Amino acid sequence: MQIKEYPALSQPPAHVPPQLVHDVDIFNLPGAKDGVHAAWKRIQTELPPIFWTPRNGGYWMATRARDILTVQNDAVTFSMRAALVPNNPRPYPAPPMDFDPPEHGSWRILISPAFSPKVVADVEHMVRQTAIDLIEGFVPRGEVEFVGEFTKVLPIVVFLTMMQLPPADREQLMPLANEIVRSPHPTKIHQARLGLKAYVEGVVADRRANPRDDLITKIINSRVAGQAIDEAHAVGMLTLLLSGGLDTVKNLLGFCAIFLAKHPEHVRQLVENPALIPHAAEELIRAHGVSLTARLVTRDTTLSGVDLKEGDQLQQFSFLVGLDEETVPDPMTIDFSRPAPIPHATFGNGPHRCPGAILAKREVLLWLEEWLKRIPQFRIKPGTVPQQDAGMVNNVSELWLSWDVED
Amino acid sequence: MAQITFRQADGTTQTVDANIGDSVMRAAQDNGVEGLAAECGGCLTCATCHAYVDPAWLVKLEPASEEEQIMIECAIDVRPTSRLTCQILVTEELSGLVVEIPASQY
Repeated sequence: MQIKEYPALSQPPAHVPPQLVHDVDIFNLPGAKDGVHAAWKRIQTELPPIFWTPRNGGYWMATRARDILTVQNDAVTFSMRAALVPNNPRPYPAPPMDFDPPEHGSWRILISPAFSPKVVADVEHMVRQTAIDLIEGFVPRGEVEFVGEFTKVLPIVVFLTMMQLPPADREQLMPLANEIVRSPHPTKIHQARLGLKAYVEGVVADRRANPRDDLITKIINSRVAGQAIDEAHAVGMLTLLLSGGLDTVKNLLGFCAIFLAKHPEHVRQLVENPALIPHAAEELIRAHGVSLTARLVTRDTTLSGVDLKEGDQLQQFSFLVGLDEETVPDPMTIDFSRPAPIPHATFGNGPHRCPGAILAKREVLLWLEEWLKRIPQFRIKPGTVPQQDAGMVNNVSELWLSWDVED
Repeated sequence: MAQITFRQADGTTQTVDANIGDSVMRAAQDNGVEGLAAECGGCLTCATCHAYVDPAWLVKLEPASEEEQIMIECAIDVRPTSRLTCQILVTEELSGLVVEIPASQY
């Protein structure tokens, strides 16, 4: 497969008005290391609602809630076949993401039940116990590097356990998942995707030989629109699922922890009134979305007065919906007393909404419940700086937390 | 318009005027009826607009599609009268429909 490398700066196509060209690089965003969400909020406030960046292949960025919601809900005009920036096709067919409605639905129905309210209720005990075991392992120390000992472990162990894959495989999978969403280099992304695919091929071969009562076996034996699924699509679908489950909740937990470590008053509210935690989790999730997914424009169209051409790529910033004044008043303030339901698009909307959303929310909620019971006051460890950055997934790569321990 | 009555788990009821052609889920959301999370907005992917339809009315509805049946089984506290309200379209004939909302969607 030919991998397309892009120049540092692409030439804008003729239909892009010069005043709408702004140099914004998701892999080198000014201010992101001090606060990713605040840095993107500045882009939302200071630049036009829709503009074209010459970085990473050259593509549109849409930063306001109304346009983002339009794009998410019109999955035919705005296809997910170009979800990653820089844009290069995956080296495997990737349903349901790479398929447009109406074909999309017959693939998605294979995935949606796997992370449903019923399944999440069934695994809640396992999630909670995993969180408890991790937290109790470091509580007596009075400090932890939260990413290495918690966020890189909990969601991935939960996901792999749900998939009936060995939790220890995370050591092999995490670097590949990181590369896919963190790298600006198409060749490296391609190689990491092939690495994940090779892992899945091994798993699929195992399940063919030793069928289990699990999602992987179910998918390889499934029928789509009356036809038995073929090997390439089954492997592609599972590879996509794997890449979606490895690097997302990890970073969501990281951003929520940074906020709480810096805001003891918010923590106190939750410690004094744990019943507030589910609502507070929703508010934290509103303001700390992590995933970006771009779209391929499939026909000439106009979005808020901007002409888009078939074949253009457009980044719609799901996490900016929750940070937009159009969505909630004073969006950069975290307020646990906001009225429910708290609107946001952290998990997207429309047919491609994140299938793991209910699980992700439950993991944040259970982390808060079990953490605050054991560590009711905590802070950023003095002398350390949380390491965060922008990318295809807003990420937290290092976070030292500390708390007082009784002798 | 058709009148739809939503009964909450605590027994309180709310009757709303629903637009013909809207889903029952949409009618609830547009009229401030609580208890249907409807996370996916009607794409049949989340099973969080789950409700119970009064048996007298259930037989008057279009039966659940194969996809809806799969997703109903994804909800919690499923009963024989369970439906996903995003899949029930309001018609003139459904005026008077009574829908019971479960205590929780999760």
